[in-house]
Amino acid sequence: MDSILGNGRLAQINEISGGLLRYDPEGRLMLFPVRHHSPVCSYQLIRAIDEFSPTVILVEGPENANDLIPVLTAEDTELPAAIYYFYKDKGGLINDLGQDYRCYYPFLTASPEYNALREGRKRGIPARFIDLPFCEILINTSENSGLCRPDERVSYADDAKLTRSDIYKALCEKTSVSSFDEFWEKYFEIEGLRLSAEEYYYALHSYCIMNRETENISAMTEDGTLVRERHMALRIREALDSGERVLAVTGGFHSSGIAELLSEGKIKPVRLHKIPADRQGCFPAAYSYEAADSLNGYSAGMNSPAYYDNVMKRLLSGEDKSSVFDSCSLDLLVRTADEASKKDSPVTISDTSAAESLMKGLAALRNISQCGLAEVRDGVTSAFIKGEMSPSYDMPLRILARLASGDAVGRIGDKTFQPPLVADFEKQCASHRLKISDSVQHESDVSLFSGKSGLALSRLFHRLDFLRTGFCVLAKGPDLHSGADRNRVREIWQYRRVPQVDSVLIDRTADGFTIAEACTSAAARALDGQHKSAQTAQTAVDCFLMGIPLTDEQYLSVLGSIDGDGDIFSLGNALECFSRLCSLQELYGFLDTDYKKLLSRCMEKLIYLLPYSADPPRESAARLTSIMRSMYSIAARLLPHLCPDLEKALDTMISRQQKEPTVYGTAMGLLYSFDSSRRSDAESALRGYLNGSAGIRKLGADYLCGLFTSAGDIVLADDVFLKMTDELITGFDSNDFLEILPPLKLAFSRFTPSEIRSIAHRIAQSYSSDGNDILFGEAVDEALYLFGQSIDREVISQLGGADK
Amino acid sequence: MEQQYIKPPVEVRYAEELKALEQSDTGRKPENWRLSPKAVRTFILGGTADTPDGKVKIRRKFYGNDPLVERCIITLAGSRGLMLVGEPGTAKTMLSELLSAACCGTSTNTVQGTAGTTEDLIKYGWNYALLLAKGPCREALVPAPLLVGMEKGIFVRFEEMTRTPAEVQDCLISVMSDRIMNIPELGDDGIVMARRGFNIIGTANTRDKGVNEMSGALKRRFNFETVAPIKDVALEKEIILRETEDLAREGHIDMPVDRDIVELLAVTYHELREGRTSEGTVVERPASVMSTAEAVSVCFQTMSHAWYYGGGKTDVGILTENLIGAVCKEEQSDIEKLKAYFRTAVRQKAEKVGGAWIAYSETEGSLR
Repeated sequence: MDSILGNGRLAQINEISGGLLRYDPEGRLMLFPVRHHSPVCSYQLIRAIDEFSPTVILVEGPENANDLIPVLTAEDTELPAAIYYFYKDKGGLINDLGQDYRCYYPFLTASPEYNALREGRKRGIPARFIDLPFCEILINTSENSGLCRPDERVSYADDAKLTRSDIYKALCEKTSVSSFDEFWEKYFEIEGLRLSAEEYYYALHSYCIMNRETENISAMTEDGTLVRERHMALRIREALDSGERVLAVTGGFHSSGIAELLSEGKIKPVRLHKIPADRQGCFPAAYSYEAADSLNGYSAGMNSPAYYDNVMKRLLSGEDKSSVFDSCSLDLLVRTADEASKKDSPVTISDTSAAESLMKGLAALRNISQCGLAEVRDGVTSAFIKGEMSPSYDMPLRILARLASGDAVGRIGDKTFQPPLVADFEKQCASHRLKISDSVQHESDVSLFSGKSGLALSRLFHRLDFLRTGFCVLAKGPDLHSGADRNRVREIWQYRRVPQVDSVLIDRTADGFTIAEACTSAAARALDGQHKSAQTAQTAVDCFLMGIPLTDEQYLSVLGSIDGDGDIFSLGNALECFSRLCSLQELYGFLDTDYKKLLSRCMEKLIYLLPYSADPPRESAARLTSIMRSMYSIAARLLPHLCPDLEKALDTMISRQQKEPTVYGTAMGLLYSFDSSRRSDAESALRGYLNGSAGIRKLGADYLCGLFTSAGDIVLADDVFLKMTDELITGFDSNDFLEILPPLKLAFSRFTPSEIRSIAHRIAQSYSSDGNDILFGEAVDEALYLFGQSIDREVISQLGGADK
Repeated sequence: MEQQYIKPPVEVRYAEELKALEQSDTGRKPENWRLSPKAVRTFILGGTADTPDGKVKIRRKFYGNDPLVERCIITLAGSRGLMLVGEPGTAKTMLSELLSAACCGTSTNTVQGTAGTTEDLIKYGWNYALLLAKGPCREALVPAPLLVGMEKGIFVRFEEMTRTPAEVQDCLISVMSDRIMNIPELGDDGIVMARRGFNIIGTANTRDKGVNEMSGALKRRFNFETVAPIKDVALEKEIILRETEDLAREGHIDMPVDRDIVELLAVTYHELREGRTSEGTVVERPASVMSTAEAVSVCFQTMSHAWYYGGGKTDVGILTENLIGAVCKEEQSDIEKLKAYFRTAVRQKAEKVGGAWIAYSETEGSLR
């Protein structure tokens, strides 16, 4: 190892900081470097603890979680587990945005930090964290750097520094390995097992010091490294001063920095802020391998945590270290073959055997004493994939990645420190007798209006859905967002408590300590990010379904979105949403929010915009006519004081020079609905289309479509409109008729079957026929009809051109 | 010998390196292999060989995926055949030649798979004159590469295996399973057992996939390796440079390779293959294969033009003209795609990067 990392490194380490990094089992301080989730690091750390026999173990980790150490290391806690930290920057100590921050500190069986804490417990040695509290780390870190990043799932166990410099690339090239993961596995895991604790200690220090030498001071200041190291050094100094033999377990990158501070003598303490208890905190949380892996890669510890945890478990159980990687790799290979065979990607015993022999051959070729994960991957790639490497063939590799990553979920034994949101969730589920003790899918049939409990349960489901916990899905029920299925009085929910539900709830702890509080905060955040009234209206529907009244601030935010919205379609959607909520308020027993005012504000804004929307793009005309009809119906029903304004707006609209015919027809129909004496205006508008050129006449069909949409009764009152329609239709030649047929069909689809019958009867009468002939008689052949029509024309022309 | 042939086989071309490796090789060798797996790795991926005469530098010959080469070597030392699949021009054939030359000392025991390949071109045929004169006897037998490989204990290279009809491919199944070939015409003498060291390296390009899909039984007897195009443009540039230099040396073209031309070609091929420029602009991919081997060919063609007609000065216009011939093979629309690439990416680079890109951009007019 020394030859790979450079000869003479050992001497250099022994010289650094007055020999503070020397491996001295007789000394008073040992700064043991670690990489998160490394099993061999853990194994060598335990050996070092044996040799050094410390009186106190200090571990890198935010010290405000010291009370949780007994919970984490308790017998009944199952790993993976994590400490969840949160901080609400309401005091603006980080920036003026007052954001919430959170992060996880995951612990696996292979985590050296966990093993250090566990050894402390086992040997009766005090063990504690020594890093700055989470909030102080954030306050001392520049924005978008270190833990102070806007990522949803930031991990405290960030290993990015180990691969930040180009050193690892040079080492990979020197040692003929293709990636850092392979380099690490070869030299610090598999070959690391053959080293003594002392040799391993020096090898890891060598690598970390090489990395640190390339790091610049300003970057370390920005990401909070230096200030954290100062605090950790201070805590170590305090322990040394009180006469303890200290074993400090920190990320390898920090060790030399801490040693340097300790050698300098006096360490200036970091100023700590007084943060109210409700703005910061930490909880123990069950964690999953899946989450541990998704945070990993180069930036946060080893990947494939289940595989390396398996190695550690076997080492702890006393398995022979000279074959532990071989047996774990073979186990993984066989499980991959087994799973692949179940998934229609058959793997024979011969394939497995070929893969195993390939793994062994590769290990020998690469000078590795045992097969590691890289060899398993190569074995599977070569022997299990029967074709080109593509999504159709690479299933075995995907299975391998999943198995190596693992899907197990941990469990926290001691519930004393259970996150409040999880506690509230369990309490509410218990009160509604929901089955959450297993991960099987259940179904709940919720009767919305037969008692208070139904609505309460529905609200709980809607709240959990709104928080995106993944706990429940609405299979059937009224959809107030779109207005579909409003006749339903029951909701059918499918629910299942999977580990991710707890993870999300813990994540949401920063939003509040009860589900209702979390929903209120989440809704407020949602409204903050929305500028269109249609979006804020949808959030208002969510709040309605969740039974959470809009706060004054949120209400103003919704009003603001309406006032600031210039999009007639967005406002139309909002109008329809608020109208639904107004109508259902009493039925749902939710009278806490004044939706009528929001509705009225929407209507006023729409009335203002309407005259400017007379000529929308053709594809938007249908939606606009639907909004116009909604406006009329809502104004007539709920906002009668706005009817005159709406009528005036429609008047202005029709006076515009450029009008889309469907919209025009709708406006004329609505004006007729306001005042039946305006029928003649509608007639003369149609007459205008009839008297126009062929192109204009075609638009008459669209006009009729709009007119019948908003005032179908206009055609039933007398025969004038029918005759004009007849005139319109018969004026077209065959090709033009086919062109206008779709809008005409649409226009007549607004009528009920009995109205259609009545119209047919009246048209038949005008042709001296019986309505039944038209509806049920045999259709006249088109060619014959055209022939008859041409004879008619000829006769008329011979008779003196009566058609002129 | 190198002087006499257009393309000498790998074992001739790299004879000195192979000899140096053989001299310094202390690793364990599979039976009948010329070099140990570690030395084969060094031969293909580069390194040094300690000979009695000093250290000999071994050039890297295959780029892009070192673990793949390692897997190939170990596969060949085992009981399964090796099947190299991938886009055309990804150096599958070169890799199989290198492996054969390093492991067996010969890379010429080859079957070229085509639609017309029959079993007797793979296994054995007969000298009909002798057959008629003497009847079926060993003397009348004409061994084909498979039989040669089995008898000598060397690799058989089967090029473009999926272009061969599936029923013909299947003649390999029994040989690969039992390592025995039965020649019924020879009676009791007709059993040929493979000597140690025998194996098969197949290649198939993914564009032929489905022409003659391999049977499941045959697939089971191979380990598959996918050789992907090179993803790193800097590496591709280096390969083009080195390969063109080699071709120039072999063709006695005594002028340095123009690095600007190499840069232009590497970037153009890389971006057209990926369908995205380094600036993030999406460009249409031509239907033709945009392989590194094609880029080398265009580069060498441009260099030859400069050597014979240009007085040793490389002309970017000629590069563009050569590019048309290389890119626009499959579909008429490929020329439009190339034009669009010039209009967007090349112009953009001419503005931002300048240098040779300006002259390259000015040749856009020759794309007709």
